[in-house]
Amino acid sequence: MQTKMNGDINMQISEQLPDMANNNESVLQEIFRDRVFNGIRQGTTWQFHRYGINCKLSGSVYAVSEIEGAISLIHGPAGCAFHQRLTPRKMYAPIYNLPCTDLDENDVIYGGEDKLREKIGEVYHMFHPSLIAVLPTCVSGLVGDDVSGVITELDLPCDLLHVPSEGFAHRSRESLDMMMRDYAESWKDPSRSPAYDLRGCGHEEVMFSIVDQLMEEQEIAPNLVNIESFGRFTYGFRSELAEIKHIFGEMGVSVNLTLPTCTVEEIKRAPAAELNIVTRNLRWAERMKERFGNDYLRKWFFYFGFDGVEKFYHDAASKLGLDGEADAAIRKEKTQSLQELEKYQKIFARDDFAVSTQGFFFTPYLARIYATDLKLPIKYLCVDMQLLKALNISEETIEVMITNMQEAFEEWGLGFEVVTNPTLDEMSEIAKKVDHVLSDRITPPIYGKGGGVGVMDISATRYLLFRTGFSGIVEFGKYLAEKLHGERGKTYQNNREPIISRFNYDKIHYPMLDDNRCSASREMWSGMWSMKSEGCDNNGRR
Amino acid sequence: MDGGKFFGAFRASSGITDAVVLNHVPVGCNWGAAIFKTTSNQFDMRHACTVMHEREIVFGGEDALREALIRADELYDTPLLLVIAGDAPSIIGDDVEAVVNSVTLDAEVMWMEAAGFKGSMMDGYEEALLRLAGLMKESETIQGSVNLIGFSPDDFKVDADVKEIKQLLLDAGVEVNTVISKCSLEEFRRAPAAELNVVLGQGTLLAEQMKKELGLPYLKMDYPYGLDGTAHFVNAISEELGTGHEPEFDIEPFKRVYLYLHELYGTPVSVIGDFHAEAMANFLDGELGFNVEVSARNEDDYFAFEEEVRNSNTTILFGSSFEQNIAETLNIPLIRFCYPVFDNVCVYDDAPYAGFRGAVCLTEAIINTVMSYGGMNK
Repeated sequence: MQTKMNGDINMQISEQLPDMANNNESVLQEIFRDRVFNGIRQGTTWQFHRYGINCKLSGSVYAVSEIEGAISLIHGPAGCAFHQRLTPRKMYAPIYNLPCTDLDENDVIYGGEDKLREKIGEVYHMFHPSLIAVLPTCVSGLVGDDVSGVITELDLPCDLLHVPSEGFAHRSRESLDMMMRDYAESWKDPSRSPAYDLRGCGHEEVMFSIVDQLMEEQEIAPNLVNIESFGRFTYGFRSELAEIKHIFGEMGVSVNLTLPTCTVEEIKRAPAAELNIVTRNLRWAERMKERFGNDYLRKWFFYFGFDGVEKFYHDAASKLGLDGEADAAIRKEKTQSLQELEKYQKIFARDDFAVSTQGFFFTPYLARIYATDLKLPIKYLCVDMQLLKALNISEETIEVMITNMQEAFEEWGLGFEVVTNPTLDEMSEIAKKVDHVLSDRITPPIYGKGGGVGVMDISATRYLLFRTGFSGIVEFGKYLAEKLHGERGKTYQNNREPIISRFNYDKIHYPMLDDNRCSASREMWSGMWSMKSEGCDNNGRR
Repeated sequence: MDGGKFFGAFRASSGITDAVVLNHVPVGCNWGAAIFKTTSNQFDMRHACTVMHEREIVFGGEDALREALIRADELYDTPLLLVIAGDAPSIIGDDVEAVVNSVTLDAEVMWMEAAGFKGSMMDGYEEALLRLAGLMKESETIQGSVNLIGFSPDDFKVDADVKEIKQLLLDAGVEVNTVISKCSLEEFRRAPAAELNVVLGQGTLLAEQMKKELGLPYLKMDYPYGLDGTAHFVNAISEELGTGHEPEFDIEPFKRVYLYLHELYGTPVSVIGDFHAEAMANFLDGELGFNVEVSARNEDDYFAFEEEVRNSNTTILFGSSFEQNIAETLNIPLIRFCYPVFDNVCVYDDAPYAGFRGAVCLTEAIINTVMSYGGMNK
């Protein structure tokens, strides 16, 4: 039994790693595949964040599941483990094996440390994992169980990790608002990019704990990097990682591992890398720098696009002391891609475009890819800022974003007209003035009613533009050229009246339905969550 | 694995379809309880949360609850707010009753204490119904009518099953008065009008209380899966109410696939779930001729169940979405039939699993699943 169960854990993990894509598929096929098979769950879950969020425990369970051979042990009541098996970060692959100390009323009174001690041993003998990550819950946190004390005194032939995961210590809505504003203020001057962490997401706590409790002092090897893999949440991560490794390889840089998507032994050896590439929170990387001296580089929004990607690799080279030495390799990769893209740029040059996009922290840089890298002759950039309201971003911050975005476009000389939150009538007028309207979000329900504005959907393929490599933009160009002037699928896309365009949607919180209960629940969540922000009044206002 | 008392209380409460459930909990409990309800009903958003944060843990959550009640009353057009206090307020000792009594709202407010660590999901369901019983009104008895007790709004196939069962009973001259818990507040209030309570797996405490206080008798029945299971269900109710109806069913659909049914005879299967599991096992064994090798309830030791299934000859597994891992590991198909199902949707309410038509749909699902599974070399 023990061998089988242990085998299952590793099998579950190893099956998930390569399974999100087939080995022979193209980058585009991978994007569509991820969008369909992952996105059907992930995208939907994202919408449910209008009405609530899961707790820190959920992010911790997810992050631990990325560590090969590791298992989470929930120190709390059975109900916590019951639903946390379905973590929003990994809806496509529930964490089936999620043991729990099953705290009851007796444990709440007398403490659950004995039960935890016993359960850790039981979990080891049942699963033979390389690592048991103990995740306390609200209940064990309130009871005051000394989780660190318990795991310190145990002597088992596997590693033990304590990840503070109590569900009541989560992030506030204010953090996102402040982050968005600071991003907007750094659009023209990326050196002002904010060093924010979204506190309490669970992922961050696991990353910090593995640095603090698992990693071991190593001799730092030159030109070796670790990459934080928050990646399989991002469509097309597998091929993106392959390209990153390829470009680094051309620069004479090796990838040590992806964190935390690796084995426990690899985590221990992570400090051997000279540089950490951070994709999410900085705290773990700062801790690694403090403990082991590893430098880090954060993947910011300004690393999007040809120039941005080039800058990323230059900055990495600089951090590794390869200034100048890696230039040729980076230039070669960029030049090759630019040459390949030229034929598509010529096709795009024949027509006029309007692009419909959404306002977010990366919007100006995404627009710059459309206009500068792809050389789409854009007459109108239509930016929907309503999503930000749905995320509880304040009017004040949205105003700052709109103003700064306009200023950035002017400074970059992109030359298109920006239309914020266009109405259906405005979109109809815009559509008459251009040859094509592209939309990088799903808009038929907004613009397609009654055979309204014909919009070309690029919502899935836009993920190609966010990659830390040059090939994604080329792939996008190829796809768009084919869609504009190729024959495939044309017969079927001219007379659509999608079922989703027949519903009434909330005017601000698209794609939420125009439904009183949905609106009330959204507002209820928004208001109550806002109250938890420091410095807010009871109405959630700062 | 059991969801605990809070989940049971949430499922019972959210079954009052025009009520709003206000969860007095940190964010995760609110998310977890609600997420399984959204798979097949993505706009039925009637839950909210007091968002217990560190501040509430230190200073108490009563102010947050009061604020949430006032906001909810303003925002929702609902006759009833149901407050469910979970683990955290139970430990820190929030006086929920005092908060509820301190506010004057348009909506009626009912509260219940349901700390997850204080009992099972079924305990939570049972106790929540007992609390909700306080909403019932004395009503004139409707002869030949029943209440169906034991449903939850996030049960797989619940709408289709309820529709099918109602029609079957109507054909037998029995009217369904109230479906608990899948009804409006008004329907719930009128529950005492029924001549008989029919308990399907859970809700016995409510039935017992209604018997004691209102003299309303009850029958405990298995969930009506299969031809025989359904016939027995209808017969028993019909007999109890004296409507004297002999249900008839059509075996023609089964005849169309009789050779497949021959080949599947003797198939070793395993079943796990809530109270639906036993009735499902009875159908599989008694009517399809499958050999049920392992049968377990959610509250049993899950890892022991998994081990038993591994050591059995099971070739089809019946359970919830959480059994997909075992099915994949054993390279066998999974038929999802009970809570929680989060990777299949059920939006067509004429394709039940319960009742005579349900037996056909279920059989069809089993055959299709087996035939599309990939053959010997999978």
